[in-house]
Amino acid sequence: MPLPTTLDRSEPDTTTPVIEVRNLRRSFGSFLALDDITMTVPRASVGLLGANGAGKTTLIRTLLGLLAPDRGEATVVGYDIRSEGTSLRAYVGYMPEAEGLPSNTTAADFVGHMAEMSGIPPRAARQRAADVLYQVGLAEERYRLIKGFSTGMRQRVKLAQAIVHDPQLVFLDEPTAGLDPRGREEMLELITRIYRQLGIAVVVSTHILEDVEKVCDYVLILDAGRLVAAQPLGAMEVIGGEVTVRIDGDQAAFRSGLEAQGVSVHDGGPETPDELSVDVHDEAVYDVIRDLAVQQGAAIRSMRSMSRSLEDIYLGNVGASREEVGAGV
Amino acid sequence: MSEHANGVAPGRYGEVFDRGYAHYDGPREGRRRAVKSLFVYSIKRAMGIRKSWTAKVLPVLLYVSSFVPLIVMIGIAALLPDANVASYPDYFDGIFFLVGIFAGTVIPEILIPDRQEKTLPLYFARAITRFDYVIAKLAAAAVLTMTISVLPAIILWLGRQLTAESPWSAMRDNIGDLGQVIVLGTLIALTLGTIALVISAMTDRKGVAIAVIVIAFLIVSGLVELALTELDQDWRRYLAFGHMQLVFSAISASLFNAEPNMDVQEADLPTWMYYAWICFIIIAGSLFVRWRYSPGNTA
Repeated sequence: MPLPTTLDRSEPDTTTPVIEVRNLRRSFGSFLALDDITMTVPRASVGLLGANGAGKTTLIRTLLGLLAPDRGEATVVGYDIRSEGTSLRAYVGYMPEAEGLPSNTTAADFVGHMAEMSGIPPRAARQRAADVLYQVGLAEERYRLIKGFSTGMRQRVKLAQAIVHDPQLVFLDEPTAGLDPRGREEMLELITRIYRQLGIAVVVSTHILEDVEKVCDYVLILDAGRLVAAQPLGAMEVIGGEVTVRIDGDQAAFRSGLEAQGVSVHDGGPETPDELSVDVHDEAVYDVIRDLAVQQGAAIRSMRSMSRSLEDIYLGNVGASREEVGAGV
Repeated sequence: MSEHANGVAPGRYGEVFDRGYAHYDGPREGRRRAVKSLFVYSIKRAMGIRKSWTAKVLPVLLYVSSFVPLIVMIGIAALLPDANVASYPDYFDGIFFLVGIFAGTVIPEILIPDRQEKTLPLYFARAITRFDYVIAKLAAAAVLTMTISVLPAIILWLGRQLTAESPWSAMRDNIGDLGQVIVLGTLIALTLGTIALVISAMTDRKGVAIAVIVIAFLIVSGLVELALTELDQDWRRYLAFGHMQLVFSAISASLFNAEPNMDVQEADLPTWMYYAWICFIIIAGSLFVRWRYSPGNTA
């Protein structure tokens, strides 16, 4: 299904935090769902990662003002989640994970109704419903009953209702769940467009790391109700990364040359003795390697990035978090 | 030739325009708009408006069953001025089960689909509170039931006045009847609508709700009638509270200064008890629905 092309409407404002949380805690009986969460989330495309039961949906529902926290405070798009829930929800969109659409009504009617439910007058609501359904690729199908829609089309309707009232922030809970590979790609493309072209900040809750890598530039990682990472995604890939360099030439001299310029170098190990592992703490290290090879007349045969993937970071943080909990920290 | 603001010449047939996403700068009317929208949408859904034709069959049949006898009665009054057309208490007694069937089959459509189709999280993520949601649903149920309990009765009143020899003076003389008709019709709508909502709030299946409501109206009423005739203990008169038609027969008789039916006379309960009972049903039922939709119970 082709997606409509659009022009950029606005440049996202990345400077203002969209969510600010301090010491947020929420439990259900003896089960601690959110444990002392403190974070400041920029206006960005944010991935909320965590295994099933990590607290992602509880965090979203708390931030929407639907669940009262046991303690702590939070503001979302400037509104207090405890005292300004209804005002907050007029400016925030939510696409739940669960299947939740009326079957015996048309997409246009339902999305228009959802716009009115956010306070938009009927005439404008109908117009916006038509426009947003066009944006998500359901222009022709909008007057059909939803019960005849495929899973992918139903996900698009859920996305349309989440953005029809022009929110400042939209929470997407497992937006690619149940989609085939093509539908998933299209959904990720839509999510990218929501932030990049429509200027709406996005929080994508998922346990699929690849989805976050594709569409997000900031990541929050939850594990057993605890926030174990909150940082830009690009920084994650660089921090702690290294490249493996293989040259034709004097390897020892090359290593000495790098170390002389303050670059940390390790041997490639017994299986790859002709390789050097170079720590990349800064992008300038790539220039140092290139310039030194030219200076020494050595040919670079290969250079592979060994920087940590999001998966490594996720597993590292989650593992460390569990060790801390196990050690009673 | 004038140009559009974006510098593009005015549209010709077949011209393609960019329909980029536009940010919304218009008014946001908050909870008021949301509750109003939910109220209207609930009524439309229950009536099958903008749904497949099968969804419209039952409401249309029930309205036809309600309005056709009414038209016949007004016609008889117009053609045969001396004919004894049914009194208001008789009329309400006659339509009582029709209102019950309407409440039992149409009202569940107001509440159940939101839980059955799991759209509640979408509603509660909007600019409303759970209390707003319940208020909109209660109002939709009451107004919808009033269209079959109050509206036909008002038309009957109007028809009677218009077929009188002097319509204007008839209206002036009988304006009190109109008030009584509206009060009785509204009480019936609120009571039966609330009972239907309470039962609908307890199940996610429309079929179950409809069956329970019909059983509540028909079977319980039958059992109460049986008990009233067969039992001879003094407490049996309180069983009249379980027979809603008797309850409204008593209220109707008090409103129109008419003679109550035999069972009501037999029960011999003070009229205020009947009013107190329906007030209790409406208030307790509304509170139950409110509780049912509190956090932890749903969504």
